[in-house]
Amino acid sequence: MKTRYKILTMALLMSAFSCDLNEDPYGFYSEDNFYKTASDAESAVDYAYDALTFLEYSRAIFFVGDLPTEECGPKGDEAADNQNLDKWNVASFSTNRMLSNYFKYGYIAINRANAVIKNVPAGDYDQALKDKFLGEAYFLRAWNYFNLVKAFGKVPMHTSLVETVAQTSAPMAKDLDEVYDFIIADAQKAVELLKVNQALGRADKVAAQALLAKVYLFIASSKEHNVPLYTAMNKDVNTMYQLAAKNANDIITGQSVYGFENNLVSIYDVEKPLGKENILLLSMDRTGAVEGDYSKISKLFIPYIDGATIYLKNPDNTYSKSHDGWSVFQTKTDFYNTFDGSDKRRTELMVTTTYNASGVISAQYPGKIIYPFTRKYIDPNFIGDKTSTKPFLIRFSEVALTYAEAAGPTAESYALINQIRNRAGLGNLVPGLNANDFRSAVLKERSWELAFEGNRLYDLRRFNLVAQVVPEAAGITAEQAAFYPIPQTEIDLNKGL
Amino acid sequence: MKKKWKNNILFCVLLMTSLTAFSQNTIQGIVSDENGLMIPGANISVIGSSKAVTTDFDGKYKIEANGDAVLSFSFIGFDAQKIIAAGRTTINVVLKSSNENLKEIVVIGYGSVKKADLTGSVSTVKTKALQDIPSNSIEQVLQGRVAGLQITTSQVPGSASTVRIRGGSSLRGSNSPLVVVDGFPLGDAGDLKQINVADIDKVDVLKDASASAIYGSRGANGVIIVTTKSAKKGKTQILVQQQSSFSEFNSELNLWRDPVLMAQLSNEGRINGGQTPLYIGAENSNGVYYPSVHELQSGAWPYFTKWDDITFRSSPLSNNTLVSINSGTDKTSFSLTGNYYSEQGVYVVDNYTKGGYNLRVKHDVFDNLTVRFSNILSKGNRKANDGLAYWRNPIFPVYDENGNYYMIGNNDYSHPVAITEKRQNETRTTDFITSGSLEWQVIPSLKLTTRLNYKLGSSINDQFYPSIYTETGDFNNGAGYINNWEGENFASETFANYNKTFGKHDLGVTGGFTYETYMSRNSNLGAFDFVNETLGNENMSAGNPERNTVSNGKTETKLVSGIFRVNYGYDDKYLVTLTGRADGSSKFGKNNQWAYFPSGAVSWKAHNEEFIKSLNTFDELKFRMSYGISGNQGISPYQTLSRYGVSQYYDNGNWVSAIGPGYQVGTTGQDGIEKLWGGIPNPDLKWETTAQSDFGVDVGILKNRLHLIFDLYSKNTKDLLRERILPVSSGYDRIWVNDGEITNKGFELTLDGDIIKNKDLTLSASLIYSKNNNEVVSLGSVEQSGLNVDPNTGMQYEYSGNSLEQFRQFPNILAVGQPINVFYGYKTEGIVQNLQEGVNAGLDGDLAQAGEFKYVDINKDGVIDTKDQTIIGNPNPDFTASFNLSLKYKQLDFSAFFNGAFGQDVLNTQAFNQPSNAPLRWTPDNPTNEYPSLRDGRTLKLSDWWIEDGSFVRIQNITVGYTLKPAKSVIQSLRLYLNANNVYTFTSFEGYDPEVGTDGIYWGGYPRLSKWTIGLDLTF
Repeated sequence: MKTRYKILTMALLMSAFSCDLNEDPYGFYSEDNFYKTASDAESAVDYAYDALTFLEYSRAIFFVGDLPTEECGPKGDEAADNQNLDKWNVASFSTNRMLSNYFKYGYIAINRANAVIKNVPAGDYDQALKDKFLGEAYFLRAWNYFNLVKAFGKVPMHTSLVETVAQTSAPMAKDLDEVYDFIIADAQKAVELLKVNQALGRADKVAAQALLAKVYLFIASSKEHNVPLYTAMNKDVNTMYQLAAKNANDIITGQSVYGFENNLVSIYDVEKPLGKENILLLSMDRTGAVEGDYSKISKLFIPYIDGATIYLKNPDNTYSKSHDGWSVFQTKTDFYNTFDGSDKRRTELMVTTTYNASGVISAQYPGKIIYPFTRKYIDPNFIGDKTSTKPFLIRFSEVALTYAEAAGPTAESYALINQIRNRAGLGNLVPGLNANDFRSAVLKERSWELAFEGNRLYDLRRFNLVAQVVPEAAGITAEQAAFYPIPQTEIDLNKGL
Repeated sequence: MKKKWKNNILFCVLLMTSLTAFSQNTIQGIVSDENGLMIPGANISVIGSSKAVTTDFDGKYKIEANGDAVLSFSFIGFDAQKIIAAGRTTINVVLKSSNENLKEIVVIGYGSVKKADLTGSVSTVKTKALQDIPSNSIEQVLQGRVAGLQITTSQVPGSASTVRIRGGSSLRGSNSPLVVVDGFPLGDAGDLKQINVADIDKVDVLKDASASAIYGSRGANGVIIVTTKSAKKGKTQILVQQQSSFSEFNSELNLWRDPVLMAQLSNEGRINGGQTPLYIGAENSNGVYYPSVHELQSGAWPYFTKWDDITFRSSPLSNNTLVSINSGTDKTSFSLTGNYYSEQGVYVVDNYTKGGYNLRVKHDVFDNLTVRFSNILSKGNRKANDGLAYWRNPIFPVYDENGNYYMIGNNDYSHPVAITEKRQNETRTTDFITSGSLEWQVIPSLKLTTRLNYKLGSSINDQFYPSIYTETGDFNNGAGYINNWEGENFASETFANYNKTFGKHDLGVTGGFTYETYMSRNSNLGAFDFVNETLGNENMSAGNPERNTVSNGKTETKLVSGIFRVNYGYDDKYLVTLTGRADGSSKFGKNNQWAYFPSGAVSWKAHNEEFIKSLNTFDELKFRMSYGISGNQGISPYQTLSRYGVSQYYDNGNWVSAIGPGYQVGTTGQDGIEKLWGGIPNPDLKWETTAQSDFGVDVGILKNRLHLIFDLYSKNTKDLLRERILPVSSGYDRIWVNDGEITNKGFELTLDGDIIKNKDLTLSASLIYSKNNNEVVSLGSVEQSGLNVDPNTGMQYEYSGNSLEQFRQFPNILAVGQPINVFYGYKTEGIVQNLQEGVNAGLDGDLAQAGEFKYVDINKDGVIDTKDQTIIGNPNPDFTASFNLSLKYKQLDFSAFFNGAFGQDVLNTQAFNQPSNAPLRWTPDNPTNEYPSLRDGRTLKLSDWWIEDGSFVRIQNITVGYTLKPAKSVIQSLRLYLNANNVYTFTSFEGYDPEVGTDGIYWGGYPRLSKWTIGLDLTF
């Protein structure tokens, strides 16, 4: 009998197991097993940068920044949402997917930056590294809120990492001051924490200074031109201009890494991402695995030319190879004609003739090439559709023009704008302009210098010129011109609104 | 009970004392039934020895036995009798027919009850008759055998079936019932290939909540309990079963046999679509020469290839061999089965083989302590060569003049011979299941059981896609993959069963606890850019090392449960069952880690009441009512944890891993290129809850020769696992929540009748009828779930399944107030006969032309647009029914099984532009209202024109058998039979076969296969 009980006791013991029902995550990271080391933190910073590369965000730079302006129009069978952006079909904007994706990725990047800001201070490693990571995170948070405020105006304020369902709703900023104060504070922290250090796909002190200058200029000119909501801002226009000029000047005079590139075409050389002009580029490379890691931006700007490999003639009479494109962003003739006939930004950066491998003309505008196209996004080493073409987020020329516009018609300002004009083969700007005319001249210069770089809409907005300049926007209200509506799904779901 | 014990003791005493007292005699006699009819084939055995004989045709027997021997007389359908010889030499026995139906034991999870005492809705299938149908898994042959059990089978060798009990109750979780084999919960039903059908004794299907609640959070979809055979006591028995089958299409293939007509119609379609016709004796834009119609007509074009002859086997063969050895003594019984199964796919080279063994041992260590052990090994090998292009253009040859594969231009990825010879896709699986249990009968009324179960499954999948001939291979310059998977189930169960009768009170109590874990791991290797492709994926290092891909994953879940059940009966008239289970699952959120599933049932055995007895009508009249809660824990693990994502970022010239909050959970938008992000934990996430009520009646009349089971049920499932949309600014898109509600209501009827029952001839029939109506009650709020709203009716809906390329539309929707997966699209009113008619109908542009579909302007706003869509069909059947007829005459047996589904709509994607219907197109000379014109480039809208009635009745199975029991031979019994499966289908459906998946979409493909089998069962 004893044996019997032994067997049974054993059997019962076999059945007695722990009641611990906690799950141990396998093969994925969570806050429990992450942010322990400096390399963890660096990969978290990279994750925040990576949010900018997703095609929903990186393509929107142009779909939102250039398409709704007088620069270009969409191809005939482009998706309805993008057609509506071009046509300023304002009633459709609250459900426009391009806009809601732009909105979404702004916040995805902000949330990723918030994760760095929350977790890095507790790490046990070199303070200098922590400063760098935090500085970049503050930069990214400011950068993305600036994107959001330029596009949508007042937006919900997510100021810390979203970790629970309750935190997925956030209150709307009460006014533009709240948004801009937050951006300025972040950008200032970034300036303090970062050092000058040019690296592809990473922001440094100069990028933060440039951002700050851009932000101040945006407030100043918007308020000056009575853009809705900006008029109510608790900021002095002249102070804003001064701060913009100061921060731009800190770059122009305070460092030697960045400066003007002398040769226009080489600014856009895909193989020279660390050129002097490039303060911040969106980092993408043709060796990437998915779109966003690699870029198809070239395909958006180049027209369809028989699906063939095309050759573009360089100023030095060599040829650069490229694939043809999808004709998505079609340069408008009126805009093309605003360039002076001798402007190298027209003669060297806009393409009207393509060649075959042996240098024979293969297509021309007008004709097989249906519009003159920009060659700012050309990758001679393309792999199929994959390229390393990158959006130019901050260029030194923009900083120079920011200074000029902010400081007004000073000698330094004239010197900077003339340097840009002369590089493009143009003569000096008419001297002796008053402040208003000078700033309008800078705006015009920006339309040529920064064409197809995702800038134009915001320039038109801060000068309150959208309805006046963009034929499709004629008749819309100042509010409709100044801000896209917050996406309807956000309004429906955010309990904080 | 007491009396029986006394008898047992008496037997033992007699046996012991008699060993020496009596000498060997020949005992003979006749065995007959109550009506005086002789019973041939009755078993007579001498208890305590291996001696056994059967009666001859006249019911006579002769057996050698000691004068004091105890003889046992038994025959199926009759109560066994034990008779002490007491020195007699002639013993005539009258066997009383047993009321089998009521004595049957039904397994209900952690115990069993007599069928007569069942309070819940449980159907039992004796699988003996199903063995004649060759199959890879038991599910394939259960189709139509149980009321309320819906099974959809696949034609692909070795593939799983879809199993539903009383309709689907989950949108995003599993809808498959839990399958339990001898107490071991193995997971979702559908692919129980590890257990030979011949090894299965019976299958119990738990349908209502009272029955399934004992399985708690896995019971909501019902439970299928499989019980394997156990060896009988007696001498060693060897069973050999052999089945050989061949298959053939049950209808003609719908392919172009007349190339001239094909070319003419193709040209017509392209010309109507404003495109250059193909068959004009010139190269097309892809550089492929297409002959002109004239060339084809005159015979100048030398090629005509019947690709179906090249891609299909004319008659795929399959084989099923099983050998089993059974033996049992008083203390030990064992059974060993070996099995080899092979099945050729209908495509050439495509096949599936499976082999394994099943060992079961039972030993009584002590009088009251039993050990059971079983071990199953099953190895399968699937060599897939399916999806070949039997539809390839017949005007092209197989090889060009140089003997190379003839390719139709660049990017031709459908050459069946090239693919057959160069592509590789092979999966090897190994499954190992072992169980051990101890059963301790502590006192006669109390039994303790403890069981340990373990299952290990693994698979290795080898794939190679050559460049040029396959798309994947061409894009990657050769692509090789090795995919490994391993899964482990472990279950430990300890429970007690207490059964005792106190006067008129019967009490049964079951209680215990279980612990289960599941773990699965996978690893996947990929290599591309092969320098040399001759070795396929055998040498993955021949790929470009920089492009190698590696991935791996693992999931682990735990389930801890307590179970409890009380059965109480009073006076054999009133029965009550209360069941409860508590489940703690690692998959549930922290705030909802434990779930409780109660249920209760009452039953009234009215036939035991005097006033019913006095009617002398009912052998059984039982009423049942039950209500209970069960769950569905079909959540993927780790959904309740926060989760970070990993991606690559090109940081200053180097690819680095980037990690942070939010990971990609899916895609959306046009072309599916917009990413969806998740990763926010939901600590409230829990099981889906199903509340089910059931009312049933069991009626037996005419000495139980007519038996009826009726069940009416209502199943309400809430807290459906669904994804909710988060505010855009949160940085996340989706979170899993419990939201939404579905109901299933219906009734089931099973009618069994023994029409003729006499010595030589028996005829029985059974009819099964099931009706289920499901309805989506709620899908959450329009905003949070992102629902669409029908502009005309205000109906809230969301798309279900995938968009159909042909229509660029989602055909199925989940709509509040509608059955699951109804079709949503346009309505048509025939064909536009002239432009004016088209314009009047609200059509414009191409759509208004003569020969186009005449869409209906539902909202009467003068234009046809998306606002004119409405519900255009329901893929759920109104009811399903099956009918089985069994006839037995002497040694001959015959059975026929009919199965049908009625009233379901099928979306026939092949309703136009196929060889059978393209010639019927609209033309000015043939202004039909049935078919549109042929026009390439037409933008098709999904409309009711493509919806057909899918009702069908199938002669599912016919078996004719002959059984021989030679009196004096080593062979105890021999049975030879012919079986025909899927014999004929009656339907008005235009395609090959209307039996399609639960989404109701018919994709074309090829006809259903009829299978003809010759089988032999030998018992030694």
